[in-house]
Amino acid sequence: VSTRHLIHVVSIILLALTAALALTGVVSLAHGEAASLAFAGSTVVCLALGLVGYRRTSLDRDLTIREGYAVVSLSWIAIGVVGALPYLFTGVLTSPAAALFESVSGFTTTGATVFNDIESLPRGILFWRSLTQWIGGMGIIVLGIAILPFLGIGGMQLFRAEVPGPTPERLQPRIAQTAKLLWYVYAGLTVLQIVLLLLAGMSWFDAVNHALATVSTGGFSPRNASIAFYESGVIQYIVILFMYLAALNFTLHYRALLGAPGRYLKDTEWRAFTYILIAATAIVAFSGWRSGLHAGDSAEHLVRDALFQVISIATTTGFVTFDYDRWPAAANLVLLVLMLIGGMAGSTAGGMKVIRVYALVRQSITALKRSLHPRAVVVTRVGTRIIRDDDLLNILAFILLYISLLAAGALVMALLGHDILTSVGASAATIGNVGPGLGDVGAIENYGWMGPVSHLMLVFLMLVGRLEIFTVLLLFHPDLWRGRT
Amino acid sequence: MRIVIVGAGEVGFHLARRLSEEGQDVVLIEANPERAVSVSEQLDVLTITGNGASLSVLEEAGTRRARLLLAVTSRDEVNVLACLAASRMDVAFKVARVSNPEFYQKDSVLSREHLGIDLMINPERECAWETFQLLNSEAATDLVRFADGRVQLIGLRVRPGSAVAGTTLVDLDKQLTDRHYVTVAIVRDGVTEIPTGASRIEAGDQLFVLAPSSEMPDIPPLAGYSEFKLRRVMIAGGSEEAVYLARHLGEHGVACTVLDSDRRRCLQLAELLPRALVLHGDATNLELLEMEGVEGIDGYVAFTGSDETNMLSSLLAKTTGARKVISLIHRFEFMRLVTKVGIDAAVSARQSTVNAILRYVRRGNVQSVATLKGILAEALEFDVSENAAATRKPISELHIPKGAVIGAVIRGERVIMPRGRDVLQAGDRAVVFALPDAIGDVERLFE
Repeated sequence: VSTRHLIHVVSIILLALTAALALTGVVSLAHGEAASLAFAGSTVVCLALGLVGYRRTSLDRDLTIREGYAVVSLSWIAIGVVGALPYLFTGVLTSPAAALFESVSGFTTTGATVFNDIESLPRGILFWRSLTQWIGGMGIIVLGIAILPFLGIGGMQLFRAEVPGPTPERLQPRIAQTAKLLWYVYAGLTVLQIVLLLLAGMSWFDAVNHALATVSTGGFSPRNASIAFYESGVIQYIVILFMYLAALNFTLHYRALLGAPGRYLKDTEWRAFTYILIAATAIVAFSGWRSGLHAGDSAEHLVRDALFQVISIATTTGFVTFDYDRWPAAANLVLLVLMLIGGMAGSTAGGMKVIRVYALVRQSITALKRSLHPRAVVVTRVGTRIIRDDDLLNILAFILLYISLLAAGALVMALLGHDILTSVGASAATIGNVGPGLGDVGAIENYGWMGPVSHLMLVFLMLVGRLEIFTVLLLFHPDLWRGRT
Repeated sequence: MRIVIVGAGEVGFHLARRLSEEGQDVVLIEANPERAVSVSEQLDVLTITGNGASLSVLEEAGTRRARLLLAVTSRDEVNVLACLAASRMDVAFKVARVSNPEFYQKDSVLSREHLGIDLMINPERECAWETFQLLNSEAATDLVRFADGRVQLIGLRVRPGSAVAGTTLVDLDKQLTDRHYVTVAIVRDGVTEIPTGASRIEAGDQLFVLAPSSEMPDIPPLAGYSEFKLRRVMIAGGSEEAVYLARHLGEHGVACTVLDSDRRRCLQLAELLPRALVLHGDATNLELLEMEGVEGIDGYVAFTGSDETNMLSSLLAKTTGARKVISLIHRFEFMRLVTKVGIDAAVSARQSTVNAILRYVRRGNVQSVATLKGILAEALEFDVSENAAATRKPISELHIPKGAVIGAVIRGERVIMPRGRDVLQAGDRAVVFALPDAIGDVERLFE
């Protein structure tokens, strides 16, 4: 690994981030806020860091695989740190750990916030929160690959390191074309949602912010009460629809746009995901109805509440329209399981991904069959695709690491004195990039009361979850830094 | 008529022999020089050593003067190329043996029509299809369909203690007055007899019975077979035939187990056949067969590449209690052994291919021909011509040779099982069962 190369590429990513900071400064200025000065300052710092890094180094050959992994992790850490500057410069946060938490929570599309009173924040800060989610949703590296031609070669490594799921599909011969297509679909969905929200009566500022945070499955809302602020069923259904679409594999969207909408129905992962959502909604609605908390609500309202919370958690968005902590344990358990599973591979959602869980379920059935017929040669299939043993071992390792890190995170939280529900909830909600957890970090709570140690540990979990574990953990593997490449 | 055959493998060899015996001028192209020499010593044909896809070799074989080209090597590419070249040399009919299923798909860019091939044959698929037919009847050793399936010929072995054992055909006719079966041959100790009314059926005989398809299900019970429904099948050997058969069984909801001794092949099979259970093991490993429930299984099919293994494996399965056992036999000489040793039926991809090609080649007023396994007789389907000798007198007064019998007549939509007093009409289609030396005389009757 050549440090020179790493700094060079990370600097380019920072230069790209400068544009986002400048845009937010303009939005802030348009609202006549003093905060625009803080954004100007952040922009200057980001630009300076980027320029110095860029000018002092050079890229004289293509990135190697190891460099690719290192670049992705380091870039995410860099944008997380620089993205925290506006919170400190405007003075809305004084703790650097809390600012880093908010920033990383944005970029990783987690949506966990440290703010108690969101509506009192400057408009510029609100927009920055949403924009970080939108950038992080499809991934800043994928954006880089799409617009920076020299990242194309060896870009597959970067691409694989950032796009969620076991094996990203190539839509076009060139990786840059694939990345571009994904961004087009992503931007298209965002614009469509903004239009629909406007038509449903939302204000411009709220519509843009909510769309940025929905399509990225982020979950930051400019409202204290999140989507519950709008008592309109139409707005809630629009948000449900777009959370769902954002958690589907974007290559499916692309093929559907090309005129093959049947591709959704044929996709095994899509079917599994949709069945899981339907079953979970039924259980949560039943559990909610039994609790008596919905006495007086119409059936439609009850089902809508169940559906919204299920979709919001399963897609790892994290908007709320009902304080699900008040629901009985059965509903909370279902939500916790949904947090772990997450959305589809190739989407903006977090979690372990449906395809991995599904593959392991199929593998268990294979194992059962094998014990009935000891001489049987059985392959594990996902739909018509055959999952090879290598892939299965990778998936197993992934899930083991995922659960271990989650458990370790929960243990650290418990050691810091939090109760078990809060510890597990916070750990699962951050590694899964969901946002709201359970207990003291539940639906209507926030992460602001925690100490800096908790914040930094959760920052680590969010990054690990967004970059699907291996990419980040590789940074700690000595082989990555050893040797010439 | 000059016929060019490309490939002197088992299929090409037998085609060449049959056609040359019928008086055709056969030119055989074979790439392997030793094989070419050995074939030219055995057959009265012209053999040319060379690649059948080579234009100069085709020219040398006089393809321009031929009416028919049969490309039957084991390589699709050679067969297809030879047919393409033959089209340019104005050969009237081109037949190709093609195993790759992609060529058969409806929207294929290289379909039969595009390639200018008149008949395309997939031996493995033909064989699997035949096996599937045989599996569906516990009794059948042979099954042939005539007149678009309206008439069928079934071969079956009479079980001891069955209704027909020990009776003569005349008695049988009296017992079953409203039935229309015709017993066209009785095979006893390897000797084929075209029966008369006085012939007696014994337990252990192999009968060939011709009947309208609607009455087909009534026949096996008479020969001592109970009702049979195919639910579970085991296939030993993961050959191409096995893959086609397993797919077919799966489509018909039959549970299917496939066995192969090569682990890598097993993996391929498991990938190709999502509905089948694939086992890694030897086809003659009794312990494994028993563990996987071969006892009481409805069908057992031995489809390995070795005839000896197939026969042994089939016998093991039969003794363990499999109801219907079918063996794949590659070498024609072994065919007659099969029913002798107690295996229920045999199939051969090569024979299926030869049959299909001969059926095509024998145009004129012969509609269809079926060569039966292990016995010499053939079943032929004739169109009765205008002014044919057969239309002038009732059947009983026709000079039908001893080794032949008119089994069924299709007149328009009707199927008639002819009696002695019936008279054939022009436009009828007659199914005739005949020994080889009688075929010539029979053909003259219908011209």
